[in-house]
Amino acid sequence: MDISGLTDHLFRHEAGKLVSVLTGIFGIERLQLAEDVVQEAMVRALQTWPYYGVPKNPAAWLTQAAKNLALDTIRREKTFHDKQAQIITLIEQRGGGENESESPKFENEIKDDRLRMMFVCCHPLISREDQVALALKTLCGFSPPEIAKAFLTTEAAIAKRLTRAKQRIREAEIRFEIPEGDELTRRLDAVLQSLYLLFNEGYKASSGDSLVREDLCLEAIRLATLLAEHPAGNRPKMHALLALMLLNAARIPSRVDHEGNLLRLQEQDRARWNQPMIARGMFHIAHSASGAELSEYHLQAGIAAVHCAAQDYASTDWRQILEMYDRLVEFDDSPVVALNRAVALAEVLGPQAGIEAVSAIQNLQSLESYYLLHAVLGEFELRMNHSRAAAGHFRKALQLAEIKSEQAFLTKRLAECEPTAR
Amino acid sequence: MSKNNQSDYLLFFRGNTWEKNLTPEELKKVVTDWYAWFQQLAAEGKCLGGLPLLDSGKLVSGKKGRAVADGPFAESKETIAGYFHLRVANEAEAILIAQQCPGLEYEGCVVEVRPVGEQNVERVGGLEHLEGIAKTVTTSLNP
Repeated sequence: MDISGLTDHLFRHEAGKLVSVLTGIFGIERLQLAEDVVQEAMVRALQTWPYYGVPKNPAAWLTQAAKNLALDTIRREKTFHDKQAQIITLIEQRGGGENESESPKFENEIKDDRLRMMFVCCHPLISREDQVALALKTLCGFSPPEIAKAFLTTEAAIAKRLTRAKQRIREAEIRFEIPEGDELTRRLDAVLQSLYLLFNEGYKASSGDSLVREDLCLEAIRLATLLAEHPAGNRPKMHALLALMLLNAARIPSRVDHEGNLLRLQEQDRARWNQPMIARGMFHIAHSASGAELSEYHLQAGIAAVHCAAQDYASTDWRQILEMYDRLVEFDDSPVVALNRAVALAEVLGPQAGIEAVSAIQNLQSLESYYLLHAVLGEFELRMNHSRAAAGHFRKALQLAEIKSEQAFLTKRLAECEPTAR
Repeated sequence: MSKNNQSDYLLFFRGNTWEKNLTPEELKKVVTDWYAWFQQLAAEGKCLGGLPLLDSGKLVSGKKGRAVADGPFAESKETIAGYFHLRVANEAEAILIAQQCPGLEYEGCVVEVRPVGEQNVERVGGLEHLEGIAKTVTTSLNP
């Protein structure tokens, strides 16, 4: 057991929750104040817990501390004078104390606040990259240095994004609310897209600190789960997105070996897949299969589900995967999706068909500097025993790969085709 | 080493600015490590106690304490944020313990090691003598 009784990510998760709750009390225009008192409450914990031990309910302690600090602050502020009584009542009702947090009514109120915050962060008037940074900061309790690490950028750049986003909230007078009716449908789409982006930032193996990246995936799942469980978010498309996150995240542990080298799907140890996560993913797939809308999320979740359902690589139902890619390209004409489709096609119809599908990709030249294009072509050629051609493609891919694990992988593949090439 | 050869030191943790910019994950780590450090020292009998000091308070000065001012406890590198009371073999050991402070990872955290003034030597000697007698008596009672 953890000596201190602190659960994983306690501070980060509590910070994410508390900022939403306090914003619910102070109003979205005072988001900064909410963030400040939450940070201060955590510092108070640091100053006292090492001496007196960790309180029985650390989350309630932090809530109480933040609440007290918030009260102190508003008592000092003249501008809040007229609203003061009202705010103090609100804090006392909704701040959440030891007993209150056990009451389901307050739990729901807290969830609603978090959802309101989600709709604020993902408002279409805020640019997409700013949305994700803001969501990570206010909803997930990530600090600017951590966000910078995840996005391979500087702390200053992240600070700028956060300032810009908050400014936008003020200027556009974005309201702290869960939209209703038609607006909900539109706004929900924007939230889903941001969550999808957040997940993908973490999922793409190409760059950054791997631990932080996995956290991004888990945060996206946490937020998506929260939304899917709420009446406002309980929709087929939402469940499809959550399913696609779970079914892909479940396979993250097997993507690399113990030395951090990338593994191809056929080399991955399926015993390392996270089965409870797969089960949750399948549950949400079932919930996504209603209504009239088939979204990209449905198709991507379906593809992931087929992989998860296969006992081993050989028994993968590539025909089904190909069918879903055939429909996915109708939604998304990006050459990357077309490249993935070519891989599935090659599994069904053979490497020659794969090569033809690649050359038929529209806008193929935009993939020219993408190492995976050349790696895929290398694999196809190698399967046809065209070692020399394969080696050429792998060499090209190697020149373009930026990450060490990718380079190591390609070097290995190159070595595998060279003995016969000579 | 007998208990009488041990000396008392206070560790003062200086600086109350360094925590402000820690990430939630870093804060969590420092809390956990600091608590474990404190517990360990107490279990080994090297730390007799410790308390945190908050960033507020008054300064009393002047004849009969006429002047009562708000303490200069704003954010500064000098502010004492807490202390440990150590009982260890010597200064070197106290320093060794101070060097384990988890806050030292971060710039602005300083640990001050101060020896506690010795009591009247004569009295200590007297106590030693008494302790010696007590020991003999106990040994003779429990052969």
